Amino acid sequence: MSKPIFQLVDELPTNNVTTMVLRSLDFVVPGQWQNIVGFTNTIKAVTGETDDSFIQQIGERAIFLYNDKSQGYQRAMWLYQTVDNTDTALAAAALANKVGGAIPLMGGLLTSLTPKANKAQAIDLCLKLVVELVAFCQINGIPGDSIGDFLGALGEYSGESLMRMAALVCIDGLIPLGPDFLGQTLSMLGETTPSDLEQNSTFKGISSLIPGGNPAGQLGFINQSFDSVKGWMSNFVASRGLTPEAVVSNMQNFVQISNDKLDYLGAFLDMSTNYYEHTGTQTLARRLIERAAAEI
Amino acid sequence: MKSILPRWRQILASLLLSVLLLVTACAPQAPSRWDEAQKESTQKPTQVSRTAGKPVEGGKFNKFFPAGGGGYQRVYTQEKPGFAEAKLKKSGQDVAVISISDTASNPTAAQKFQQSSKKIGGYPAVSQGSNGTAVLVANRYQVKVQSRSPGFTQSDRETWLQKFDLNGLSQLR
Repeated sequence: MSKPIFQLVDELPTNNVTTMVLRSLDFVVPGQWQNIVGFTNTIKAVTGETDDSFIQQIGERAIFLYNDKSQGYQRAMWLYQTVDNTDTALAAAALANKVGGAIPLMGGLLTSLTPKANKAQAIDLCLKLVVELVAFCQINGIPGDSIGDFLGALGEYSGESLMRMAALVCIDGLIPLGPDFLGQTLSMLGETTPSDLEQNSTFKGISSLIPGGNPAGQLGFINQSFDSVKGWMSNFVASRGLTPEAVVSNMQNFVQISNDKLDYLGAFLDMSTNYYEHTGTQTLARRLIERAAAEI
Repeated sequence: MKSILPRWRQILASLLLSVLLLVTACAPQAPSRWDEAQKESTQKPTQVSRTAGKPVEGGKFNKFFPAGGGGYQRVYTQEKPGFAEAKLKKSGQDVAVISISDTASNPTAAQKFQQSSKKIGGYPAVSQGSNGTAVLVANRYQVKVQSRSPGFTQSDRETWLQKFDLNGLSQLR
């Protein structure tokens, strides 16, 4: 059986490669993300309540709602967990080799990384976006293919949800694909066939929950989702003046890499972080607790 | 004998492996204040599902919510079976969460209103925790306002509860 929700929230790490990366991205969305960990802590942070027996009631209702499979929360959690393909051994080895607080991305660590081809990277970016859309609908109760509702809600994103989108733009867009990552993704997506999609390992993991019926229909849904969100993303990048250089220079305090090896940095971040799962767990817990506090 | 010995070893080894797996799988979890709720909610049928009725669709609640106005913006956030929620924002900040839930799917939530001596908009009202106020409409629908900012007071919560179409909601079946 999958882990209980309180355990997933209790076990969120406070200091690993993922949290270091997310902290380094604070400059993109200043003050939006606090790494709130622990189920009880999250209840206190979300509701502002301090009475222990009241907190107990909220938590018990939240656990009940999460365990009711028809509510969709477990599907959302599974999506957030599955879309990240983290190599925990690599992440641990990288942390163990820190020099002066930073991970030197060179030598053996560098040779163990294989940068993804641009097409695979573009598909990954789109799949993460689609996961966000589907998980958002599962958590908040909007029909699973409602791109319009999602787009409206994106403008309201804050906290760890906004940080997840910031990380998506930086880690899966700007660093591996460069400043024109949106144009690149659009053209790569244009060249993608349903069978390319079927061979993509991330897609294989999550295809059962992507709307569209079959790979051709799912590719259509992915295209449609990317097409409607790219305007939001391009505005996000432009309004904050984001460039690959700005992102990398903010990451220099925990990972050392030369500027001509950005594709390796992309591969390293892809393999050593699970920022979707981490912040997705925080988002899901927040919404679940909000609902529980309203229902009891 | 020769052929039996290795077989015994094989069995022994797999037995030891099973024990090891069993022990490591069950051992390290420290007890938690949430264990009981986890156990109760994963049994079939659960205590709650045995007593619960079928809730109305959350989308049916939307029309009874107050509109924004007076510097407040209302943003719908969740719509689940028997539940709808919106947040109130003022100057870009979240100041309150407003919701309607159907206690048919959570009957214990309605019990607290039995001791209520106060009415808001003609319906039994209670304060809950340090920043929640709720009324129970038609003995079934819980309408709640929770502050998310210290500036949003108990009296603000009561004012906003009365902005819901409580009488309209009381007719919902």
